[in-house]
Amino acid sequence: MKESNSTNATDDFADKARRLFDESVDGLDGKTRSELNRGRQAALAEIHSGNRRWMQWAPAGGVAVAAIVAVVVWSGSPQIDIPDSPEVASDMEILLTEDSLEMLEDLEFYSWIDFDGETTGPTEPTNNVG
Amino acid sequence: MNAYAASFAVSSKADDRTGVDTLQREKRLNRFFADVEKRALRIAEISVRDRDEALDLVQDAMIKLARNYSGRPPDEWAPLFYRILQNRIRDWQRRQMIRNRVMVFFRRGTDDDERDPIAAAPDLAGRTPDEQLQSREAMQSLEHALTGLPGRQREAFMLRTFEGLDVAGTAAAMGCSAGSVKTHYSRAIHSLRETLGEHWQ
Repeated sequence: MKESNSTNATDDFADKARRLFDESVDGLDGKTRSELNRGRQAALAEIHSGNRRWMQWAPAGGVAVAAIVAVVVWSGSPQIDIPDSPEVASDMEILLTEDSLEMLEDLEFYSWIDFDGETTGPTEPTNNVG
Repeated sequence: MNAYAASFAVSSKADDRTGVDTLQREKRLNRFFADVEKRALRIAEISVRDRDEALDLVQDAMIKLARNYSGRPPDEWAPLFYRILQNRIRDWQRRQMIRNRVMVFFRRGTDDDERDPIAAAPDLAGRTPDEQLQSREAMQSLEHALTGLPGRQREAFMLRTFEGLDVAGTAAAMGCSAGSVKTHYSRAIHSLRETLGEHWQ
């Protein structure tokens, strides 16, 4: 019985507190209501900006993808190997000797010899069997 | 229809559906905010005793809910919203405590410490001025008594009594167990009744 009275008193107290609170809510002035409405609209705009937020990153994403592709292409492309064969070494040796300048002066002559050799073919007689 | 046209049609349908979903969600959220914003403002105002600060806190909470949790089921919005709001209020109170300490240190107390934030409100219920005055004074007494309560008890009382959240919703909003809510609420009622006295009831 005592517990029941206590519960009733608690409920009455809460009811009165709620009623007074609701009255104070109803009594909010127009300016405050207007500011609340403005705040609500600002919050609702966040839903749309949230949908578009990923688009803000699109340019940065494009640049990142391009950079990745560039790195992949660059690292995957065949490297230009400089041949280290003996012929190249000997050519370099010839070019670096002092005689090389003289050879360059007669370059036209050597070119003619080279061209003549290609057009006349081998000098040895062939066995043309009739 | 070629493959490109088909994929475009599917994409357009998906976009339309997303647009419709967003609009529906916005409408529902608008209704939810319109329903809770005034009570939330008064709850925040009782906690921080400043209407402008309370307005900022409520707006912050609405923005955070819309930005981060609007995709959650609508029945979760109320506990989430009040949890965000209570966290904002607690942060504000911490900052205020530090600010007051600094002010005391420099002996530069502000004059508006005792300002009463309750605005004069026109009466919509058609009561006499005496009745209005009685109600206003009773509410002021309740607010003063509430500010004297420990923070958790005040939160439990306001969420249960003013906002009408059930025990589970209040527990979710406060980030504690249902048992703790019952304890805080019971102690709050006991303290308030003791502070306000028999004549208040």
